[in-house]
Amino acid sequence: MSNSLLAPTSQHTIGPFFPRTFFQPSDNDLTRVTHGAEPTARGEAILLRGTVLRAEAVPCLNQILEAWQADAAGRFNHPLDPERDLADPDFLGWGRAWTDAEGSYDFRTIIPGGYSDAAGRRAPHINLSVMGAGLMRRAQTTVFFPDFPAENAADPVLTLVPEAHRGKLIAVPGGMVDGVRVFRFDIRLQGDAATETPFFED
Amino acid sequence: MPQAPRNNRKEGKDNMTASDVPDRFEPWPPGIEPAVPIAGYPNTWTFTPSQAPIRRPATRTEATGPMELQRKLPCGDANLAELSPGKFAIGQLMHIAGRILDEEGRPVRGAIVELWQANASGRYFHPIDQRAAPLDPNFIGNGRIRTDDEGRYAFMTVKPGAYPVPVKETWWRPPHLHFSVIGPSSLSRLVTQMYFEGDPLNALDRILNSIPDRAARQRLIARDLPPAEVGDEWLGFTHDIVLRGRHATPMTP
Ligand SMILES: [Fe+3]
Repeated sequence: MSNSLLAPTSQHTIGPFFPRTFFQPSDNDLTRVTHGAEPTARGEAILLRGTVLRAEAVPCLNQILEAWQADAAGRFNHPLDPERDLADPDFLGWGRAWTDAEGSYDFRTIIPGGYSDAAGRRAPHINLSVMGAGLMRRAQTTVFFPDFPAENAADPVLTLVPEAHRGKLIAVPGGMVDGVRVFRFDIRLQGDAATETPFFED
Repeated sequence: MPQAPRNNRKEGKDNMTASDVPDRFEPWPPGIEPAVPIAGYPNTWTFTPSQAPIRRPATRTEATGPMELQRKLPCGDANLAELSPGKFAIGQLMHIAGRILDEEGRPVRGAIVELWQANASGRYFHPIDQRAAPLDPNFIGNGRIRTDDEGRYAFMTVKPGAYPVPVKETWWRPPHLHFSVIGPSSLSRLVTQMYFEGDPLNALDRILNSIPDRAARQRLIARDLPPAEVGDEWLGFTHDIVLRGRHATPMTP
């Protein structure tokens, strides 16, 4: 292997015309492996909801959100997970949603498990990527849960966020719908230091 | 395939284990990422985060990605040019093919490749595109496939038309294809666009020219294939896409 690496292809905006025909109704439902399948993922099903706002708190229509997370026991069905063989075979860990005219999105998923990593003990979390017209690079953030204050306080990623802004990455309990807990996670793409959602480099 | 020498990296390994995952993936090399916000593209003024993104370690969540996404996202419609047998779209028939590679030049197998584009008159089959340019009853303009063991993808389509961007100081988007690639790690998720050599609108496009590095812009332009390689009926282009993430392509059977 030489030192001469290929340069990565540049990112561009996904634009306003990402095809609606690419979406199926269950793309935002991580508890189902395929469209039309029964919800078979292990763990506590939840609804993760929020709005995506830009400067002046204007709702963002037609933003694409992608979720990526571990299964209920904190495992990934991926060669990099040492416990891959034990990962939930009915959980792909990935979902895609897009925002409506009010800037609202929702995912149906499960509370992920935490896991130990070389960087430290990860608290349960869901990584979210936001893509849309006007965003030339995807915006990446992470959702944490209020159920795990001790784990959150030790999370090696959350603790990189200035303390005053960590709360913005913790989802807010939003009641119950049909026996399922709801969590709200609003995303402010552009604001001032006090209001903008913390994003991570990719 | 253009190569950029980068000597600031350690030697790679052909295989990896969990302990090989570096604490941090290196940032994008300079000049390759779009410079934002973009003058003349007002949406970027209000969507682009104003605070610097936070650098984080690549823990397992960042280092991994979906491996069996074809179970959720149906793949296989590679022929955009022919809606049903014999029903061809209007425009110049075109074949576009290439490889999805990682930074070490290894093929990314089983990557999901999504392609969408305007029709030959520059109109998208999308409810948000309300421009007066005609829709083509035989052209939807999108498809999704999975790369093969050599990381190859291929689509049959028609060459898209240019279209104006409806902003105060209008500019025309040159003909382009949109690509979305979902690879096996969070780093190897890429959304990009592909352009055509020699189009005079390329030099005026605010989106293409937001990439500061000239060579990086050139790498977004497909290579024309001589007619002898593709046959009489089709324009032929090749375009390779390089995903980020050293160590990001797991060795899978
Ligand atoms: Fe476009």
